Amino acid sequence: MVEMFQNLYLGFSVALRPDVLLYAFAGCIIGTLVGVLPGVGPLAGISLLLPATFGLDATTAVVMLAGIYYGAMYGGSTTSILMRIPGEAASVMTCIDGYAMTRKGRAGPALAIAAVGSYLAGTVSVVALMFLAPPLAAFALRFGPPEYSALLVLGLLVLAYMSGGSMIKGLAMAALGLLLGMIGIDPMTGYSRFHYGLVELGDGIGIVPVAVGLFGVSEILLTAGQPTPPKVIKPKIRELLPSREEWRDSAWPIGRGTILGFVIGIIPGSAHIISSFVSYAIERRLSKHPERFGQGAVAGVAGPESANNSATSGAFVPMLALGVPSGPIPAVMLAAMMVHGISPGPLLISQQPDLFWGFIASMYVGNLVLLILNLPLVGIFVNLLRVPYPLLYPSILVFCILGVYAVNSSVIDVWIMAITGLMGYVLRKLEFETAPIVLGLVLAPMLEMSLRQSLAMSSGDYAIFVNRPITATMLSIALVLLVLSLKPLFTGKVDWRGSLSQQAQPGEE
Amino acid sequence: MLTCDRIAGAFLALFALGVIIESRALPLGTLWEPGPAYMPVFLALALFLLAALIMIFGGAGKPLGELSWKEWPHAVAILCASLFAALALERLGYRLTILLTCLFLLKAVERKSWTLTAIFALAMAFGSFFLFYTILRVPLPRGPMGF
Amino acid sequence: MKSLTWKVYRKAGSAKAAIPRRLVVSVSLALLVAQAVHGQEAFPSRTITLVAPFPPGGVADLTARPVAAAMEKILKNPVVVVNKTGAAGAVGMAYVATAKADGYTLLLSLSSISIIPEADKLFDRKPAYTMDQLVPLALISADPTILVVHAERPWKSVKELVEDAKKRPGQISFSSSGIYGTLHMATEMLSHAAGVKFKHVPYGGAGPALTAILGGHVDMLASGPAVVLPHIKSGKLRPLAGWGAKRVDAVPSLPTFKELGYEIEFYIWAGVFAPNGTPEPVMKKLRDTLRQGVQDSDFKSAMTKLQTPIAYLDAPEFKKFWDKDAKMLADAIKRVGKIEEKK
Repeated sequence: MVEMFQNLYLGFSVALRPDVLLYAFAGCIIGTLVGVLPGVGPLAGISLLLPATFGLDATTAVVMLAGIYYGAMYGGSTTSILMRIPGEAASVMTCIDGYAMTRKGRAGPALAIAAVGSYLAGTVSVVALMFLAPPLAAFALRFGPPEYSALLVLGLLVLAYMSGGSMIKGLAMAALGLLLGMIGIDPMTGYSRFHYGLVELGDGIGIVPVAVGLFGVSEILLTAGQPTPPKVIKPKIRELLPSREEWRDSAWPIGRGTILGFVIGIIPGSAHIISSFVSYAIERRLSKHPERFGQGAVAGVAGPESANNSATSGAFVPMLALGVPSGPIPAVMLAAMMVHGISPGPLLISQQPDLFWGFIASMYVGNLVLLILNLPLVGIFVNLLRVPYPLLYPSILVFCILGVYAVNSSVIDVWIMAITGLMGYVLRKLEFETAPIVLGLVLAPMLEMSLRQSLAMSSGDYAIFVNRPITATMLSIALVLLVLSLKPLFTGKVDWRGSLSQQAQPGEE
Repeated sequence: MLTCDRIAGAFLALFALGVIIESRALPLGTLWEPGPAYMPVFLALALFLLAALIMIFGGAGKPLGELSWKEWPHAVAILCASLFAALALERLGYRLTILLTCLFLLKAVERKSWTLTAIFALAMAFGSFFLFYTILRVPLPRGPMGF
Repeated sequence: MKSLTWKVYRKAGSAKAAIPRRLVVSVSLALLVAQAVHGQEAFPSRTITLVAPFPPGGVADLTARPVAAAMEKILKNPVVVVNKTGAAGAVGMAYVATAKADGYTLLLSLSSISIIPEADKLFDRKPAYTMDQLVPLALISADPTILVVHAERPWKSVKELVEDAKKRPGQISFSSSGIYGTLHMATEMLSHAAGVKFKHVPYGGAGPALTAILGGHVDMLASGPAVVLPHIKSGKLRPLAGWGAKRVDAVPSLPTFKELGYEIEFYIWAGVFAPNGTPEPVMKKLRDTLRQGVQDSDFKSAMTKLQTPIAYLDAPEFKKFWDKDAKMLADAIKRVGKIEEKK
């Protein structure tokens, strides 16, 4: 314990050096700028800016990347809240209630809550990372394909059980998203599926262009031609900060989101994206006013934002403790370390304590810098809404094109964005939710791959899903949820969802 | 009665059928060793079932005629602008494409004055390029003439 | 496609309606002339793009950056790395294969460049590109793969592993970066040479494949030495043999498969390519640049940090190396065949 504090002292003495601090600041600013581009979230942000850090020394490079990472994440939430453009798949849920708050003139509070929620989640999860990394990492590695399948099935059931609106329509949209996720080369056999001669579809349809199209572009298509253009919102200073009630409503969601995100985030792979979806569903289920969700419920911003932030910190657990590239973002971070001649691996903590603890400390510092930087910026960001819509929407469209193109340098992604924009426009006209499509698209490759990998491991024996303790536990929970959600069918009682739709017609999103 | 739900359900069902037809080219595999077509066919069947349910229960929904499509000219123009951008981006280069897109949206669609249009389009095209390409090193395409 | 662009372009133009057509024509003519003059200038006169067909942070990207930096230093002309990713590298490779052959668009590719056209052939797909659309400029690095097993598994040598695999065909499992991927091909060569059958569990990339063996979900893995070395040192993984012609410097005690009597050799290599038809003077200039580039001290130190051995070969020798490697991979792919139809 004493040793840990000594190490932490060592880490902070590195992270608080003026030059290092300067790079943390620069990273946060650059990250926020790039993160404002639609589609450029933390992953694309640090990938794009990774080469810029090659000239620095190892510690400053890693500190700067941590800054870029937090900045990009926050920049993404800003556009989600102000313009309904998701910075990445995980901020799709923030778009829904965040943008609804903006339309009600509560953009400032939404941004502030997102910043504070992210900060708290980030800091708490770094503490957890510090104390729990070694034991948790060993546990995380026990997640093989069968455990992963069980986790995804459980996640899907939680969402189906807890989502609002019409369950059949929601499931149909999820199935549509899962089907879209089948496009591309089948990773198990090498067959190309539904690619129609386009090489670019080999890796499947990108999540980012679909999310930007379904949410951002469809919003422009719906709004730009309204006979009465949306009112220019003139924010007042005292409306920039959340009210006491809004703080109270977000306290628990932030706490729950943090824990949920961290736990899901530790698991290797890309499952961390579902943490924000699950968090939203849980908050809606637990809320006293589920009908407010979709209409600007502050808990619908606080929960997913915290979950998202803490999930990505959780993803660093296996990377730092074991040197395993446990997800896309840790993989880029590991590459950054390798460029500087640091060989990441299980011995990193003992062999290069200054780097490990410097990284931990810089995550604290980066998080704090971002909060200090962004709370004053809330005022400036909100003023963007003063731009009249006929000028605002062409700018949004330009940034959508720029961001979506930049992620992969691919024009096909711009095509996909335009087509899904049209799809989102029509679906929203017909009163379908579009978030389940994004979720389906995210889950489809993971779910299919892990199911088929499990069967390859067991040579086709389904007992592999029952024999392994973690898998069996998760599947039993899933079974209980399934029974619970089917109960009203037999008892004839109206469940919470039915009573919800009787009280108020939930909004289209 | 033709409601929103029914028409959407019909389209989804058609889409699901299309996927099933298209999947015939791929091996299905078995329950114990699913092939490349296994998941798509399974999902398409699920979507077909759900779409059928939406059509059956969709009678009480909003009638199709109640939908207002007043904003369609704008929507079409914006869609065309995005498609133009997709076509032109790697042929004309980023700056020229954005310049033309902005000119079109502001002048032809929003009917702003020439001065405002020109200032806005130039600022967008060159400003965003300078910030993201020159300063932040985000790779953006240049056209044949170096634009 | 092109005429469509023109139509939309004209449509957008006519909607704006204010630019007289004559002006457009004369401006584009002037630009064409400018371009023609441009073309006669000495190479290089503008930015050279080095395409890395994999995302930032991957081996291709990390090799491309120091190569571009060294070229930039020697040519005194900007060389930028652009990541054109997708379809296991096919997108970026096809992009360069069909690019204008003027030396301004180059490709830094890994061994998978020979696999993609073969896999396309296997599935009767329209090929994304063919190998004769690209000409080699220089081989930059070649890293032999090594075979590791999970430390808790019983096998202490290749001999024990092969004997056990003969007793339990298709039971011992290995992970790979993906079906027909380089790591899959390396293991396929071993199983062919030893006459045994292993169970393949493909993953989406080398990272997840490594995570899988560390978690004990599979028994063995063929991998580049750099990423598994830390785990060998910490005792989580045990190396059995290497695919190189020579032993790996970092693990001198590790035998090669050739020493053990298996005639197999496999490297994960990285080389620079240009589109076929690039003019000879430009090719010469680029080859000279790369020859000097690999001697550059910054380049050397960058590659040392990445723990990737430099293995420079000039175009003619690289061509021979590439042809041999491609033949070997093509045979391996044909042996694997289509997974589904073998049942």
